[in-house]
Amino acid sequence: MFHGKVIDTSKETISLDKAQKFIESQQCGASLFFIGTVRNHNNNKQVTGITYDTHDSIVEKSFKEISDEAISTITAEHPIIFIEHAKGYLPLGGISIVIAVAAKHRGQVYDLSRFIIEEIKKRTPIWKKEHYNNEETTWLEGTPVIDK
Amino acid sequence: MKIKIELFGAARDFSEEDYLELNISENITIKEVRTNLMNYIQNKYPDNVNYLEIVKNSAFANDQDVIVQDNYKLSKEKKLCIIPPVGGG
Repeated sequence: MFHGKVIDTSKETISLDKAQKFIESQQCGASLFFIGTVRNHNNNKQVTGITYDTHDSIVEKSFKEISDEAISTITAEHPIIFIEHAKGYLPLGGISIVIAVAAKHRGQVYDLSRFIIEEIKKRTPIWKKEHYNNEETTWLEGTPVIDK
Repeated sequence: MKIKIELFGAARDFSEEDYLELNISENITIKEVRTNLMNYIQNKYPDNVNYLEIVKNSAFANDQDVIVQDNYKLSKEKKLCIIPPVGGG
């Protein structure tokens, strides 16, 4: 089972309860939540918040592709994957991403979760603009997705 | 012909709109679109090397929302999306 969605922060928030309900299964003996949040510093600067920009349809397609790859690479049994990522402004502590996974054994959920977050960072079209105390902002450098 | 390039991430700073329009020849490749866009940026922001770096390191998505590489040839596309280096999470 799979769920992947971009959440517009001006309309709704990422819900851990929703994730928990989605991954509940009596076939699974292990479940794991990875939660990404906005922290107050980066590159020696005081951060006050982050605006996330996304290409929604490619992001949601990418979540599915990465999940399918994770399941086949890790050979997870009875895998359930829930991924949501924020779009828009989040203050400090705001939840930017939730990856909730369930599977038969604990090793499988640790591996699934790690695989998914690392691949999202490398290839899913999501961008961060940091906001600082002095009202300045900076788009963070990322990973190119072109062949070189 | 005119092509609309939707802007994302750091490329949003290229325009006050969320897109820009380029005049291009028909049947050109993504590599040539990139060159056209770099020329546009050089004319509009002559001193901004950061913007040129962004274009140089960006991918493009076609109107089917597929990320395409430099050798991809445009056919009927009226719209592309620029995909600057990514970093979510």
